[in-house]
Amino acid sequence: MGKRFSYGPDGGAAAVSRKRQKIVHEAPTSEEIFASRQLQQLLAFTQDPVRARHGLQSFKLFLDELLSSQSTDADRPRILRDYLQSTRPPAQDDDETAVYLPDIMQTWSYGAQINNDNVMSAVPVVIALLLKLLAQSLDTVPFGLGICRTLLQKRQQDLIARNLSADKGKAFIISPTLRMLKEAVNFDGGAIAKPLFRARASMLKSLGRNMGIVHIGDEPEDAKRPSARTNAILFFLNALKVLHPEAKKELLSQRDICAALTRDVKQDPPYLVRELLAGLRSHVLLDDKLPREAKASLLNASTLTRLSALYQYRLDTAAEDEPSVAQLAHQFLVTACTNPACGVLRQDSGFYPRGVDPNAAVPPAELDDSGLEAVVWMNKFKTEVPVRNFTLSNFLPNLRPWSSIKQSELITSIFRVAPELVANYFLGNKSFTFEPKLSATWIGYAAFLFNVVALPIPDSFCRASGFPELPPPTSIVIDNILPLPLNQKALSRSLANKSGMISFFATRILAVAIEKLETAVKMHQDPSHANQTAWAEAARRLVDEFCQRSPGIKEMINSYRSIPEGDVLRREAASRLLRLCYEVLPQVALMAKFDVSPFLETSLGRLSNQPSDDPRDVALRLKELENLLAIAGYSPGMRWFAASEGLSLSPFTLLLRVCVDAPHGVALETIRRVLSFVAVEQQLAPADDGHPGLLALLEALQALRTASPDLAARIWPFLDNCLTRCANSPVKYVERLQELSQEVAEPGGQDNSQAVASPIAVTMLEQLPFIAGKEDGSAMLKALSRFLPKFLGFSAAAGESRPLLEVIFSKMVPHLGDSKGKLAKAGVPEGLEFEHSTAPPKTGIRGGKGKEQPVARGAGLASEPALEPERLEQTLQVPDGLEADNSALVKWSPKTVDELIDEGYLTSLMALLVSEHASIRKEALVNILKAAAKIKQSEHEEKEQIWLLLSELAETSRDKINDGPLPSPIVSFACHALDVLRDPLSSLYAKVNSFLTRGPTWSLDRLPLVDEVLLEEPGVGDAYYAQTSWLLGYLVDGLRTQHDLELFHKKRAKGPVLERLLAVAANPYMRLPLRAQVLKLVYRATGIEGGSTTLTTRFGAVNWLEARQAACTDASEAAMYAGLRRRIWETCDKERVGAWSKGGLGGARLGA
Amino acid sequence: MAPPQKSDQEVAAEFTSYYLQRATTEFAEDLDKVRAADDFKNDALRILVGALQQGTAMFSPEEQRRIVTAAARTDTKP
Repeated sequence: MGKRFSYGPDGGAAAVSRKRQKIVHEAPTSEEIFASRQLQQLLAFTQDPVRARHGLQSFKLFLDELLSSQSTDADRPRILRDYLQSTRPPAQDDDETAVYLPDIMQTWSYGAQINNDNVMSAVPVVIALLLKLLAQSLDTVPFGLGICRTLLQKRQQDLIARNLSADKGKAFIISPTLRMLKEAVNFDGGAIAKPLFRARASMLKSLGRNMGIVHIGDEPEDAKRPSARTNAILFFLNALKVLHPEAKKELLSQRDICAALTRDVKQDPPYLVRELLAGLRSHVLLDDKLPREAKASLLNASTLTRLSALYQYRLDTAAEDEPSVAQLAHQFLVTACTNPACGVLRQDSGFYPRGVDPNAAVPPAELDDSGLEAVVWMNKFKTEVPVRNFTLSNFLPNLRPWSSIKQSELITSIFRVAPELVANYFLGNKSFTFEPKLSATWIGYAAFLFNVVALPIPDSFCRASGFPELPPPTSIVIDNILPLPLNQKALSRSLANKSGMISFFATRILAVAIEKLETAVKMHQDPSHANQTAWAEAARRLVDEFCQRSPGIKEMINSYRSIPEGDVLRREAASRLLRLCYEVLPQVALMAKFDVSPFLETSLGRLSNQPSDDPRDVALRLKELENLLAIAGYSPGMRWFAASEGLSLSPFTLLLRVCVDAPHGVALETIRRVLSFVAVEQQLAPADDGHPGLLALLEALQALRTASPDLAARIWPFLDNCLTRCANSPVKYVERLQELSQEVAEPGGQDNSQAVASPIAVTMLEQLPFIAGKEDGSAMLKALSRFLPKFLGFSAAAGESRPLLEVIFSKMVPHLGDSKGKLAKAGVPEGLEFEHSTAPPKTGIRGGKGKEQPVARGAGLASEPALEPERLEQTLQVPDGLEADNSALVKWSPKTVDELIDEGYLTSLMALLVSEHASIRKEALVNILKAAAKIKQSEHEEKEQIWLLLSELAETSRDKINDGPLPSPIVSFACHALDVLRDPLSSLYAKVNSFLTRGPTWSLDRLPLVDEVLLEEPGVGDAYYAQTSWLLGYLVDGLRTQHDLELFHKKRAKGPVLERLLAVAANPYMRLPLRAQVLKLVYRATGIEGGSTTLTTRFGAVNWLEARQAACTDASEAAMYAGLRRRIWETCDKERVGAWSKGGLGGARLGA
Repeated sequence: MAPPQKSDQEVAAEFTSYYLQRATTEFAEDLDKVRAADDFKNDALRILVGALQQGTAMFSPEEQRRIVTAAARTDTKP
């Protein structure tokens, strides 16, 4: 312990002055006031501070009493008025110099001279009270104004400044002064606000500092004893209320004040926070006259951040019916950040970052050569996105959207009005990951990300009415569709997470993201784009990027597979995601070779076997079923009429049963539509326009089920047998039907060959005799004797030929055990009415109108206007897959074997064999051989086959490349065969391998694998269409020159290849995408010199197109045919074609 | 007489309540775990409910009506 000094009486005083002075508040004395004279005497100037305080304190208590609502003494106001009158300055004094309350002012000045803090504090206390009182009555306002003006005089200004800049510890001087100023600035509606602000050097002295003098202590601030900070803020807010815009602007530009205003807002008492928010809102945010810059200088990122701390405000004492401070702060921030008039939000250009010119002129030649790479800024924003809204960009990272709904709402509402911030935000906040964890934070974050993904894409990407010249940077679009935290790893882990809720959330986010991707891609494909190729390339990149960020479809399938049967909500969401994949990313979805049939069967089985208790669950299950049906529609290999193991009925019959057994009220339109579509496709129902399809069958089943559910349950096996047979050999039953119509025709002499009936009826007739021999044959016969008349009756009612049905029925009766002849006598019942579905009108349209369902098959759309040439090009033009890229010669060598094979280096190398330059071709050959050797020595699983492919290609080309390029189809075949070899699960794997082992070289005169695909069995299940698609793909790529075209039209044993391909397109079961590939081939041919002429004169392509158009039912497809006809006419040798057709073909017929 | 058509808001409210009911059934176990997690405080319950019901936005108003009225019509079935 250090030595203490001892101080003498003098030294002691010095030491006290060095220490922080302790402030001792001696309570002043006071006396009650009964007369104005007494008041005058009390307040008269005196040099004795104790007497002065006595007078001021007595006056204070007097004023307090007057201000309190309980005041009843009628004398007091008179005493005050008399006092004021007596001290009023002489009338001749001018307004500016007249001194009101001269004694009090003098006391104040004297107090300051002698440094008496108590006097310096007591004077503003009474003036503040007096002003407050005088403002209450019109009569007294002139006095008040006089006092206010007195305060503006130099001497008082100095006193005020001195009071305001008193030591931080002397809040008892600062607070009353601020209170007095608050009353003054507000007096008479702000009458002196303007001159008061002019004197801001004194009046606002140390305001920023004073805002920092906060209440200290454990207990909350007492509203009756507000801190200096509270008083300072109230003064500031009152000033804002009455100041004119220019002055307000000046006030808000005081940085220290604005900073101090919100620095401690978290600790402020609730009433002050409320007043602050309300004041700033009405007098800053929503003040139209205040310029934006002024608002912006207050609402900078740190102010916003401090206000956002109010989301966690702890001192709130909100009553039940009033909004909490957190709510008020939220409303304030939402307005401040989303209303452009508030000065924070700036106009951005959507997905185009700051400094980018979306209409920059890029020479078309450069765009053609290097695509989007020609746009300098296209790849620049992968790590950083410059934005216009820098305030918001700095503010947003301070929010915690995962732990507060309101903060999440605030961010998404900002993103909605400033889309540029989305990519910027996630690039700047990489630390928070989406790594799955079953916690409230993860769920909050997932909910926030869901909201971000669900945000709409800005109009035209740039928030304008029309698209700019160039597409937005792909990285930014993808960051808006799948924000950075949603990367492949995190999403895959979430999907596979053992917690159902986590995988459910990930599934939902992905579903919304795919929907958004679809919208974005459609926007890229908008026909109004000036730079079609650039936009198309951007769309491709976008899809690629998406696939890299999203989990693979296999993971989605696995996730769906793992969901327990009873979890209908999850199953619906997962099946919806799969369906969206098939719709939006078919190329990816189809690669997964997902066989939907087992799922469909399970789903059907569940629906038909276990009627769930809650009909809403059934409706949700039906939604899942619809999703699966849609997927089945997209996958070519769906087997509708093959019952798999464990199921007694085929999927089609199960679907029918679901329809019949569904609880009343559940909507079944989609399922009915699928049923009719499959029925027509499989020739269960005639495809003509007037036929009701399956309507009669459904109605009869439903009628029977209503009448007797037990009987209805018995006929399913029989029905399934009939439906399967009918679908498997439709021609047999159609012929049988024709025979029966002949029978009808003969006796009546009427021509009934056109009579219509459903082939199913004929199948039933055929199968009926076999029932009696079965185990429970009699019960089934009993059921059928109820069902068949109904079925035929409804068929007749639906417009089928009654005589024909009568004949069928009469042939059925003997097998139905109708011993008493009742059935025979009754015949096919008449006048049955459809109860469960709408009866088809007699002139007849069928059940529903599906997207896929041909509405008017055969009616044709021959007059459909032709597709515009640009649209036609966009739809049918395929980029040259064998375009020579000479750099491939050097690029391949440093790559690994996997990269060579999987990333297209090998393909580019092979493509060089069609180069025009002999040296390039030779170089390519050498390199192919080198690559083949490298692959053979590698560990690649398919190295042998790929080596063989390359070697055979090299062997085939070795002697030919000196004379000219190799025929394109040969090279194209090699490129496409490589894809097959890479994937041993490909249905073509066997065919390609057996082709390769056939011999060391290939004939350059033939197109490989054409016969094998078109004529031979597919080998694997239902791969015919998949194989045809592959074949057409390689042929389209391989049709580039006149010489190539010769290979297509050369005479061959089975007819020219092109002719056979045109015939392929006539297959009525072929879906549009495959037909479109044939059309792409034709389009390619029209681009080759002489191609159109050859197409017309050798293949009758014009007639073929006319026939296709007449047969097709889809308007856009018809327009495509018409467009192609016009294209052929425009590109052919018109003279020659005219002569060839003897003038039959001309511009008009060809749509030109 | 057909029961009066429900307004869109009624349908949406009913659907949301059904959706939440289904979700709480399917995720009962997970929800218990979340409630036991360290960070389950303050706003967490509201966040959880909000997060679950976000999914209703993926159903169009027609789909919601279909599912909700499936129940209603069965109620009125004789």
